[in-house]
Amino acid sequence: MRSVLFDHVWKKFYRGERHDSLRDLIPGALRTITSRRAKGELESEEFWALKDVSFEVKPGEALGIIGPNGAGKSTALKLLTRILRPTRGQCQVAGRVGALIEVAAGFHPELTGRENVYLQGAIMGMRRTEVVSKFDEIVAFAGLEDFVDMPVKRYSSGMNARLGFSIAAHLNPDVLIIDEVLAVGDVEFQERCLERMRWFKRGGVAIVLVSHNLQSVVELCDHAMFLNGRVCAIGATSDVIGRYVRDAFAASGEARQGEIHINSAELRHLDGTPVAEPVEPRTTLRVTVEFGVVVEISDVTFAFLLHRSTDQLTVYAREFSAQELQLASPVPGRFSIQFQFQTNLTRGQYHLDVFVKHIPSQRCIARLRPAGHFTIAENRTWAGVADLNVSATVSGLSIDLPSAVRPDTTYLPDPAAPVK
Amino acid sequence: MRPLSAQSSFREDLEEVVREQWEYRDLLFQLTRRDLVLRYKQAVMGFAWAVLVPLTNTAVFSILFTRIAPLDVGVPYPLFAFLGLLTWNFTASALRFSVISLSSNANLVTKVYCPREVFPLSAVLVALVDTLVAATLLVVLMGYFRVWPGLAALYLPVVVAVHIMFTIAVALVLAMANLFFRDVKYLFEVAITLWMFSTSVLYPSNVIGGTAGLAIRMNPMTAIIDAYRDALLLGRSPLTRDFALAAAVSALFLLFVAVLFHRVEFKFAEIA
Repeated sequence: MRSVLFDHVWKKFYRGERHDSLRDLIPGALRTITSRRAKGELESEEFWALKDVSFEVKPGEALGIIGPNGAGKSTALKLLTRILRPTRGQCQVAGRVGALIEVAAGFHPELTGRENVYLQGAIMGMRRTEVVSKFDEIVAFAGLEDFVDMPVKRYSSGMNARLGFSIAAHLNPDVLIIDEVLAVGDVEFQERCLERMRWFKRGGVAIVLVSHNLQSVVELCDHAMFLNGRVCAIGATSDVIGRYVRDAFAASGEARQGEIHINSAELRHLDGTPVAEPVEPRTTLRVTVEFGVVVEISDVTFAFLLHRSTDQLTVYAREFSAQELQLASPVPGRFSIQFQFQTNLTRGQYHLDVFVKHIPSQRCIARLRPAGHFTIAENRTWAGVADLNVSATVSGLSIDLPSAVRPDTTYLPDPAAPVK
Repeated sequence: MRPLSAQSSFREDLEEVVREQWEYRDLLFQLTRRDLVLRYKQAVMGFAWAVLVPLTNTAVFSILFTRIAPLDVGVPYPLFAFLGLLTWNFTASALRFSVISLSSNANLVTKVYCPREVFPLSAVLVALVDTLVAATLLVVLMGYFRVWPGLAALYLPVVVAVHIMFTIAVALVLAMANLFFRDVKYLFEVAITLWMFSTSVLYPSNVIGGTAGLAIRMNPMTAIIDAYRDALLLGRSPLTRDFALAAAVSALFLLFVAVLFHRVEFKFAEIA
């Protein structure tokens, strides 16, 4: 059983100006008639937004779609929500589709919050009786009990988005489509939204999430798809994100020929073996960076940075001056710097960034990103970034429990009860 | 749900249109309510406009056709004109709202899925509510002129049904057309005036001969408005040959347009 199926979906778009006035109709039509073209061939103004995209999502699963801008992510979502139809191939969505996209699109500024809840609910496909029965819950979730009878034009943008999200969150969907929705509201509301999505997921809802915030993909999704017109990678979230981060930096191509450049970087264990993923926390790793100097250069520093790949969090950043490295002033030729560090990190994906900065101009004159990447695997923590090596011990347990709640009498599972 | 792919039969599409409209019936209600509530909130006179416009026009044309160029229409002229204007205005204002219904709801059309027919349909419903409000004045006028409807008035629901069917079909076409060609709404204003004078709104179709008269008699709106007068003012059965033809044309036209609309509606998001 599956809730969402994309079966070799292709979608073509028109890039150029459309003929949207009657004056343009006749020349436009003439051009269509006179120019002969094989069917299925792309016309000059057309392009494929999606090429042969296939994936499926089962109930209770969450798929994250990641990719650069213009990769076709929004197109995929619009196909899922039936706003668009595929040019070729099939897309099937089983059951009721809830979309956390443009959650306030149907709001009218002159109407009150209450009137807009009914209107937006109907737009999302809710029955009136359903809205009536959930009305109080919707308003409470949005935290807008005192403002329901105020026209929405006097709402702040945050209140607007919260109300919209809250309506969508009470939809009881079989499939939930989410587009960057966590960008709304304050931290507390965002956390409530995330919790709501996890609740949907536990309840067997299939989720498709599109996000540039890779961290939220990691937190919610079991599977991910790296989309760039076609499917570049699909599978376990951590693998796909790793692939995406590497590709993203490779594409940015920062190989610049200047006074100094970075030839290569190699990340290895202390014993010289290549870093085989994943890495245990608190492992010592060494990255060897080879520099090539074209012209003698002075007044430079060498920066070593460690980022979490999923959200670009800078975990560590340090600059080493040439004096510190006892590298008086690099002369033409080659040299290497070894940076050794400990992975005192929680689970996640990380990458290194090494650059050379010219002090007088404060310019970065050579950079290698990523200069290495690795994944940390552990199962003790559930959030955070630094491995603080926390331990917990109990002392002073001397409370005399009343016999009724004594563990050995009451809380032992009934042996006769069926095992769930 | 039926898989989304390129081909489907006429029947499948028609069934889907009907099923979707039923599923989203609350949306149709809410959109209609929204437009009526907004009008009430934003305009001081609210529904009074619905009465005032046909009333003013009736007064003007009554002076024209009873004092300046008297016209024998078989019933008191103000009553003849008011009924013509009332029913004509339903179509005209339904179409005026419909023509921009998709383009003015572009934020919904491009971003949220819902059957797009609801936008022109709710425009028609809003106009229908206005017409019902204005129809109270018709009752007053009939009382004043002591014209009592006979048994023929029982045909009224049939006439109304055909009238609504025809209006919906044209509304769907115009809403679609304006999305593809944004100057349709300007062209509409010109066309609706010409259309009104090619319909038996202010004068019976038989007073005009020649090609112009033929154009008036060929027009389904003439048959529909004449049917209202037959049923309500003249006390005779409105089921004439012309009306039957208009009914058949309206029904076929609506079926065809509903499926056409459904087939191109997935393109709306790309162009709106």
